[in-house]
Amino acid sequence: MPSDLLAVLIILPFLGSLAAAVLPLRGRTASALLAGAVALVGLGITILSYPQMVAGGMLRRDIEWLPSLGLDIVLRMNGFSWLFSVMITGIGFLVVLYSRYYMSPKDPVPRFFSLLLAFMGAMLGIVLAGNLIQLAIFWELTGVFSFLLIGYWHHNANARDGARVALIVTGAGGLALLVATLIIGHIVGSYDIDAVLAKGDAIRNSPLYLPTLLLVLFAAFTKSAQFPFHFWLPRAMAAPTPVSALLHSATLVKAGVYLLVLLWPVLSGTGPWLWIVTYVGLATLLFGAWSAIFQQDLKGLLAYSTISHLGLIVALLGMSSPLACVAAIFHIVNHATFKASLFMAAGIIDHETGTRDIRRLSGLIHFLPFTATLAMVASAAMAGVPLLNGFLSKEMFFAETAIRNPNPFVDVSLPFIAILAGGFAVAYSLRFIHGVFFGPPPTELDRVPHEPPALMRRPIEILVLICLLVGIVPGLTIGPYLATAAISILGPRTPAYSLAVWHGFNTPLLMSTIAMAGGVVLYFGLQRYLARGLEGPPLLRRFREQRLFERLLLLLSVQWARRLERQVGTRRLQPQLALLVGAAILAAALPLVGGLGALPLPSGGVDPAFALVWAAGAACAIGAAVMAKYHRLAAMMLMGGAGLATSITFVWFSAPDLALTQLLVEIVTTVLILLGLRWLPKRFHDIEIDPVLSRGARFRRARDLALAVVAGVGLTVISYAVMTRPAPQSIAQFFLDNAYALAGGRNAVNVILVDFRGFDTFGEIAVLGIVALTTFALLRRFRPAADSIDKPEQQLIQQHFEQARDDLEEGAILKDYLFVPAVVMNWLFPVIIVIAIYLFLRGHDQPGGGFVAGITMSIAFILQYLAGGTRWVESRLRILPVYWIAAGLLLALATGLGSWLFGAPFLTSAFRYLDLPVIGRVPLASALFFDLGVFVLVVGSTVLILIALAHQSSRRPMRRPVPLGERAAVEPRAAE
Amino acid sequence: MMELIVSLGIGILAGSGVWLLLRPRSFQVIIGLCLLSYAVNLFIFGMGRLRMNAPPIVDGVTGTVPADPVPQALVLTAIVIGFAMTALFLVVLLAARGLTGTDHVDGRER
Amino acid sequence: MTGWFDHLAIVPILLPLLAGAVLMLVDDRHPATKLAINLSAGLLLLLAAALLLARTAGGEVIVYRLGNWPTPFAITIVADRLSALMVLLTATLALASLVFSSARWDRAGPHFHSLFQFLLMGLNGAFLTGDLFNLFVFFEVMLAASYGLVLHGSGATRVKAGLHYIAINLAASALFLIGVSLIYGVTGTLNMADLAVRIPLVPAANRGLLEAGAGVLGVAFLVKAGIWPLGFWLPTTYAAAAPPIAALFAILSKLGIYVILRLTLLFFGDGSGASAHLADAWLFYGGVATIAFGATGVLASQTLARTAGFCALVSSGTLLAMIGYENAGVTAGALYYLVNSTLALGCFFLLAELVERGRAAGADVLAVTLEAFGDEEPEPPEEVGIATPATLAFLGISFACCGMLLAGMPPLSGFIGKFAMLGAALNLNGLGGDAVITAGTWGLVALVIVSGLAVLIALLRAGINIFWVSIDGDVPRVLPAEMAPILLLLLLCLALTVLAGPALAFTEATAAALHAPMGYVSAVLGRALPGGLP
Repeated sequence: MPSDLLAVLIILPFLGSLAAAVLPLRGRTASALLAGAVALVGLGITILSYPQMVAGGMLRRDIEWLPSLGLDIVLRMNGFSWLFSVMITGIGFLVVLYSRYYMSPKDPVPRFFSLLLAFMGAMLGIVLAGNLIQLAIFWELTGVFSFLLIGYWHHNANARDGARVALIVTGAGGLALLVATLIIGHIVGSYDIDAVLAKGDAIRNSPLYLPTLLLVLFAAFTKSAQFPFHFWLPRAMAAPTPVSALLHSATLVKAGVYLLVLLWPVLSGTGPWLWIVTYVGLATLLFGAWSAIFQQDLKGLLAYSTISHLGLIVALLGMSSPLACVAAIFHIVNHATFKASLFMAAGIIDHETGTRDIRRLSGLIHFLPFTATLAMVASAAMAGVPLLNGFLSKEMFFAETAIRNPNPFVDVSLPFIAILAGGFAVAYSLRFIHGVFFGPPPTELDRVPHEPPALMRRPIEILVLICLLVGIVPGLTIGPYLATAAISILGPRTPAYSLAVWHGFNTPLLMSTIAMAGGVVLYFGLQRYLARGLEGPPLLRRFREQRLFERLLLLLSVQWARRLERQVGTRRLQPQLALLVGAAILAAALPLVGGLGALPLPSGGVDPAFALVWAAGAACAIGAAVMAKYHRLAAMMLMGGAGLATSITFVWFSAPDLALTQLLVEIVTTVLILLGLRWLPKRFHDIEIDPVLSRGARFRRARDLALAVVAGVGLTVISYAVMTRPAPQSIAQFFLDNAYALAGGRNAVNVILVDFRGFDTFGEIAVLGIVALTTFALLRRFRPAADSIDKPEQQLIQQHFEQARDDLEEGAILKDYLFVPAVVMNWLFPVIIVIAIYLFLRGHDQPGGGFVAGITMSIAFILQYLAGGTRWVESRLRILPVYWIAAGLLLALATGLGSWLFGAPFLTSAFRYLDLPVIGRVPLASALFFDLGVFVLVVGSTVLILIALAHQSSRRPMRRPVPLGERAAVEPRAAE
Repeated sequence: MMELIVSLGIGILAGSGVWLLLRPRSFQVIIGLCLLSYAVNLFIFGMGRLRMNAPPIVDGVTGTVPADPVPQALVLTAIVIGFAMTALFLVVLLAARGLTGTDHVDGRER
Repeated sequence: MTGWFDHLAIVPILLPLLAGAVLMLVDDRHPATKLAINLSAGLLLLLAAALLLARTAGGEVIVYRLGNWPTPFAITIVADRLSALMVLLTATLALASLVFSSARWDRAGPHFHSLFQFLLMGLNGAFLTGDLFNLFVFFEVMLAASYGLVLHGSGATRVKAGLHYIAINLAASALFLIGVSLIYGVTGTLNMADLAVRIPLVPAANRGLLEAGAGVLGVAFLVKAGIWPLGFWLPTTYAAAAPPIAALFAILSKLGIYVILRLTLLFFGDGSGASAHLADAWLFYGGVATIAFGATGVLASQTLARTAGFCALVSSGTLLAMIGYENAGVTAGALYYLVNSTLALGCFFLLAELVERGRAAGADVLAVTLEAFGDEEPEPPEEVGIATPATLAFLGISFACCGMLLAGMPPLSGFIGKFAMLGAALNLNGLGGDAVITAGTWGLVALVIVSGLAVLIALLRAGINIFWVSIDGDVPRVLPAEMAPILLLLLLCLALTVLAGPALAFTEATAAALHAPMGYVSAVLGRALPGGLP
């Protein structure tokens, strides 16, 4: 089944690549043999599948991949892609053979061959793709591998830059191709190439035709180095010469024209196509040829000539006549043959002389007679000398340009440009030959060049032979294959044409004669100028596209990007929070504007006491807001006031649990913050306040005030609106109905917490535990700031006084005036614990419960710390909070899991009632154990946090010893 | 009327909280967060509508419809989590102050 | 309820809790023990997640009623394809991050392992819960743990970043509470499925309040997803966090995305009456802005970790914009993209630290300026390649793969994801359908492509400077434990590429179910309900 062979054809190179990659670093011959074998097999498969190609036939194989996206793997080979496959595998093989001798034995060559094979695979992937997406995929792949190949000698900066630029330019083209493909898919309804080819009219008539065309052209022009995207190609010459021979003459750069030919039946023939493609092609042709004349680097010369030949092909395609299309296909093949051989010749020269600089080379014909001869024939083909293949396709080009055209501009410009470019081509070909091989023997070479090993020359010989055969007997050699390729693209539109060397005296012949003569004259006319050995062509020397591109890229992708990021982003906290608040306000306001519905007027009496409470509460809140900067303690007290108002509200509106919890939590929070205050920097009102606020600051304050006011008003309105509307039918009723009956608890809130929605509590205690761990972990690394290491002033005074009086040991004064409270607090300890237990047990029926009890318990501990100080407490009772936390979690978890034993879901509760003395009838619900877990964990976490904070005070100065000056400042006052 | 007072209370708490939240000193921010959480707790509570002397303690005796227990349960959870987060923020604030030497939220005076 | 297997749905939540609690009991002086426990817990979690996915893949919606109370009164755990997928993703990423941190990071501070497990608990809970307030609780669990982990290892940078991260998320949590309670005040329920039923029935007078609640809630999630302009904290925080933590955080921003996707389609999908498609436009344009900002940041940032952070923004933005379409086809592509980008990002965060290990800070800055000026070396260097050390080769290849995944370069899964999304967005009625392409869609397509190019350029620059310029310099010391997770994640992406067909089939089924939420709703409310509501 030949279509299976297609799969082999694509997969084989990649397998070979993997195999080569794992070969030992010095396996030069082995890897070369491997690569050569792969290429040969590929060539064999291709040749074998020729019979299916003739007369517009094709091979096609569909493999399902992503049916839902209309994306299957389709392998498709027709006459045209067959021609390409032959070039890729054939020239690929020759290049492998050549590289074996070109690459230095010191080079880790297997990596090179591995990349080369991978590239071959990708290239075959392009030409065998039967699906545009697939084509785009392999398109990018070729870019990636050529990047790696150009950068093969990446210790060389030029190689790096060349590689990077090549990838960015062609990569961008690939993305454009992807978008174009998506659009085509949208128009046609399929990405399959045959389907697309069938819908040519639909695409040309679609309103999306122009964007599609532009995107496709962008892709093709970047890949085929068309002006103004050509600049990456000369830079890519930093690649090893074999790479240039394969990628930058025969295959990679031809991918662009391949795409254009492939879509030629679909896209060509329209005005935009005609103008853009033709003239971009011509411009490239002219520009490339002109620049090529003045290159000093052999490979540079070849690169620019490649650019100009690609321009010629593109121009032919632009003319949209079937005959021109045939000529284009023909020239693709011809150019590949002679240019590849020329690159290899240049490589040999480089290899033998150690330089590619034409200024340093001359008279090499005496040293490398064979190579010289071969190079001369090849460059003659490049120049379009009769009896060589280059001549034939150039004749066809001239013939096309000579056709009368109604548009006077086209009519004049086409032949004129053609002749001019032809002349340039002759000139640079002459320069290549004359400059390198003739003239006096080279003087400034560090070694005497010799002919390379015969096998290294063999590839060139084969290619040059092809040039000759095709040039002399085209009909017998290339003829049938060209026809097959042409038919596969043009189908019935294939024109009649004759591949003959001699068409009699006609315009094209005249044109090429003029070009020939002109070229010779030009070259020898330029001798003096060239002798000066300047870089770059006369008129365009100032114009450094590469550098321009680099600058532009840098500007866009670095400088502007950074500026823009600073403009539209920030790393400061305040603006971020402001944005957050603003977004929230926006999100709430948009639906409410107009959608809020009617707000009833306040009705019903108001309890003056309650009003008073909130008058105070509001005052406290605002006071706290004002005070928080300079008077932290005051701010905290005011905050407490606001909290108090909150808990009173809870009591007022029948939420005793909340009030209780709120109050206790507030106590603990206050203690925590008090412990923390000591580490904050002193801030004095008088020095901090500056007479005139900067405009920025004033604006910020205004903005924040506005946000605050709007947020407050908004929340007021929303809550008022909701509270004054009838409650929806809520899930609450169920809890009230079943709290006692099904869960055995009277206090619905507590029952919800430990039973109905026990899972929330479960997560909640986890949070508490996690936070405790985090604070502990963080504070273990705590380092006080330099200016707050010192002990508080008061302590210093006491300390000093105690030192002064020898009958007092350290800390005596403190003990003295804390004596009474200490005793009281010590006695309170057991009492509070009892209260805690009480609160815990009644929780299920009355306000209380595990959390409240836990907080109470930890308050007991706090009091001990306050009374006796850290060391005193910990010398007496040893608590390991982390274990408490773990225990609490595990207990809660175990309670929840218990229900699994009865095949019930997690946290399913069971209960019995139990009569206890004093406390009375308590439900012994499994929920009680859950609540116990909560209790234990809360105690553990709270105490852990407190201890972690409290311990900081006992830290010794870490950073630097306290400067003596500060102590000195204390002493006089202490002495009084 | 009571509703109005409570909503005003919520608004003022929230307003002060937001104002402090946007201040540059970490201590202001933590106070702001506390005030904000008061406001939020009251808000959640209010979502169950206000009802006087009807605690959600079910003893088959009193005929009054008890207050909605769900928001109360939510508030309790919110209080606990709020407490935890306040503690955490306090500690981080202290650590930042210790490591950067300033109590500015961006770790440097501007 | 019979048989242990019925409890499967809750295992991903309870297992990490158990592990975390047990790990607390093990003293930090036995790191090996802790690691062993943590690893085995991680493997078990992976197993559970896989089982869950296997069970839900057929379309079954597993409903687990906690405390055996009837819905909507009970808190329900609901596992459908999407939840299961996210849980599995979490478990995978967690395992990779854990193995990586076993090399050194787990000893950078106390209680790392417990916090790690608690983070997983929070994440899985958030992915699996079917109750709005319970979602809040698990968000807090996740956040609390993430605070701890951001600060893990301490140091001024982390603490400063942590302070911002915490402050912003505390504010967001306040919004979360306001939103949830407001929705409760209007609808009288907290169960998501129940809400889906009730929201269409909300009287017009209260609709404004409802939507306000939803809006505020949405803001809270968008902060987590890192939408512009609420996501500036993300790159800074992720870059400051320890690499394995940052890698795990790649899933955090996806949690925001998950919730938005889930709730948008559940509450404001086609069938939800007056409020249908409430947020689409906002999500779309917010997403677009986020992509643009993310791409800019990718180009602008000077360290790889920060670049990765901005890549996270790009992927968030892309997902948000795609969600904005509310189109099953687009969602399917987006889900595929989500999986891929999460794995790739995780991998990249790990890689970033390895390749930048021991490199002089600011080396990239210098190299960038060299691009413009120093691009011609005078001396012709000898034309012999340099053999790359194995470690460097591995890192280089991984870096290249990561780059291609993040930039969406073919042929890896990143490309397939983008292609799937864009293809669907351009053909909203299916390929060959007659859907018109709006200007917005054109803009999005252009932006997605350009952002890809931006990522390519940035990573290309970084990669060349790291692997090609300074090759003869230091080869970073990398332990196998640090390579293995990277390899694992990359192989997963590769599998995602090769098996793109089945993977997309799965995401399509998932998307279809999400866009027709009645299956979900009826499964959750399915039983006869005492005191029953619809």
